[in-house]
Amino acid sequence: MQKVFNNKMAIFLFVFPGILLFSLTFLVPIVLSAYYSFRDTLSPGTPSAFIGFANYTELLFHDSRFWLALRNAVLLGLGFILIQHPIAIFFAIMLDRLGGKAEKWFRTIFFIPCVISVVVISKMWLSLLDPTFGAFNKMLDSLGLGMLKHAWLGDSSTALISMLFILIWAGFGWGLLFYYAGLKGIPDDLYEAASLDGASGFRLHWRITVPLLSPVITVQITLAMITALKQMETVFLTTNGGPGDSTQFLAVYLYNKAFSASQYGYANAISILFIIVCLLATYLSNKLTRSDATEF
Amino acid sequence: MVMNSKSTRNILLVTALAAVSVLSACGGGNDKNNNAGSSTNGGTAGSADKEVTLRLFSNLPDRKSGQGLAEQMVIDNYIKANPNVKIDIETLAEEPFKNKLKAYMASNESLDVTMVHGGAELNTLVQAGYVKELNPAEYEGDTYKFLPGVYKSFTFNDKLYGLPRNSDYEVIYYNKKLFDDNGIKIPTTYAELLEAGKQFRAKGIEPMSMNGKDLWSFAAFFQDLVVRLTGDQNLMLDAVAKKKNFTGDENFLAAAKLLAEARDTKLFQESFMTADYGASQNLFTQGRAAMWYMGSWEAGMATNDKLPEDFRNNVNVLKFPVVDGGKGKNTDLLAWNGGGYSLVSSSKHPEEAKKFFDYMMSADQWAKIVWDTGAAVPAQKYELSGKESELQKQLTEVLTGATSTAGSIALDSGTPKFKDDAQNAFGKFFAGGSTPEQLLADLQKAAETQ
Repeated sequence: MQKVFNNKMAIFLFVFPGILLFSLTFLVPIVLSAYYSFRDTLSPGTPSAFIGFANYTELLFHDSRFWLALRNAVLLGLGFILIQHPIAIFFAIMLDRLGGKAEKWFRTIFFIPCVISVVVISKMWLSLLDPTFGAFNKMLDSLGLGMLKHAWLGDSSTALISMLFILIWAGFGWGLLFYYAGLKGIPDDLYEAASLDGASGFRLHWRITVPLLSPVITVQITLAMITALKQMETVFLTTNGGPGDSTQFLAVYLYNKAFSASQYGYANAISILFIIVCLLATYLSNKLTRSDATEF
Repeated sequence: MVMNSKSTRNILLVTALAAVSVLSACGGGNDKNNNAGSSTNGGTAGSADKEVTLRLFSNLPDRKSGQGLAEQMVIDNYIKANPNVKIDIETLAEEPFKNKLKAYMASNESLDVTMVHGGAELNTLVQAGYVKELNPAEYEGDTYKFLPGVYKSFTFNDKLYGLPRNSDYEVIYYNKKLFDDNGIKIPTTYAELLEAGKQFRAKGIEPMSMNGKDLWSFAAFFQDLVVRLTGDQNLMLDAVAKKKNFTGDENFLAAAKLLAEARDTKLFQESFMTADYGASQNLFTQGRAAMWYMGSWEAGMATNDKLPEDFRNNVNVLKFPVVDGGKGKNTDLLAWNGGGYSLVSSSKHPEEAKKFFDYMMSADQWAKIVWDTGAAVPAQKYELSGKESELQKQLTEVLTGATSTAGSIALDSGTPKFKDDAQNAFGKFFAGGSTPEQLLADLQKAAETQ
């Protein structure tokens, strides 16, 4: 066996397929994307010319839609971290306390949004938020709050917050699942010890649960930022970035630039910057949340 | 030069309209002129050709009514006459179709025939070399009977790359019953249209349904307003072509202000910004909206038995109303040839594909079937059969009564980038409440940077 590990050819043969797969599915597309980003390609197959950094210059210094899309992604990321996650932790704690069949039942119910098709989610919320026939506006009417009614997804002053709500709701189950699993890993005797020392309720969880969940929180924050940046399907199906860019997200913008506006080279420049932003977000979120994990 | 171009266009338009008019006049009561439906492929019925499967990509997913049914009937006829041929149809609704066609182009997918949108979209396919050049001379004469001037959106650098399937023009469909039952006057001026809108809204009925999410209808509506104000079918097209400016022109500003009135008086349905094509049509056909701003290709609504009978019996056509003080007449028609078919360069069966393509586009197939089924108004001369629905007759009257036509929809007369940016400008205008001046500035920028 030692001979095999010392044999360079054996090592090469075992490693090569993985590297080849990684190269073909990841590195080559990125290199091609970078190549196109320096050209004025309308669509693959159309004649194009080398234009240097013109696409990047336009993007960074003249394209307010790009920055708006990025801002919306940041807002979504913050929404995940500051709204979705605290609620998920709270619900995870409640679930953990339930025990028995009720726990399994509610766990399943809370996870349902994550297994529903994105198309169903999009159409469902379009219906619920319809200004004339939607259940939400009808509810406001019946509560005597008719003056609060809006075309929630069709008015640029309310479209983004409505979209953020939908996205936070749709992704809730995943966050809950991770926090619930993390919670299950915390030994009960820590809670018993803390209770004996007089901790209770909020303090108990703030001092015991949250610190011990910090590895999960760290991972979740990173995933939240990446998910926010990559958001595409739900937005595409409900508002397609509209109205008037108020719900524009990077991936939707990229897709529409590439295929609807026939600016394929420009779209590839967006995708390269997209990769850079994602890497930066990953690095920063890891950096900011890094700390010695609490030992117990 | 410009004058020559205009004169040529006008001559073509007058000829086209005269031709349709003559046919309409003599077709109504004379059965002898009706085509017996003979097949131009009769001579090949006995040949022992090899098995071939052709791939058609279409934007007509509903195969049971409207244009989808007409297309399917043509295909069924062809298969009957050519037993060795199978036709594999892929369909998607409008916007997904456009995007997937671009993706197919990118990968040089081996389709045989595809539906195409003329203008900017087709131009991209042409530049990629994805669609084949056609010889216009082959499509002259009585086998096809194309009207003069209908190739405009399919011609680039003087070469033809597709054939139009319909005469497209914008109208306002309206539900006569909703007007009658509510005692509301059918509008003939823009002011009356807005007034009717207010009256419907006061009664809890959506005045006009619009596919606002798709955005292109706003550009058409705006173009209609420009023409009503000026009587000039070229003004907006010239602005897109950078021969004129959107900014600094009082006519565009006046049109933008009229558009703002439609927005501010809530002429369109509450959900207009999130309503796609299907949702906006559904609102109208279910009797919840009194009017629908849409093109002539929806003639099939009157005969679609899946729609409520009450609606079918009351759907009518309104010409876009005149603007008080404007120079345009209600017979200045926003008409163009938007959709059509092209042969794909990467086809694996080019000869069979062309045979099918020519069959489909012959006057006794698509054109006749689409008219006889009441699905749309073809881009070819057609004979009235005497069995037309009231809606079809009204649509014919709108077309034959036109005193001028646009020839092209301005939104599609520039690049895809212009279209994308212009649509975004209208989106911001309607949903964000930007000013008419801002709309024009955005359109100007879109034209300049395309």
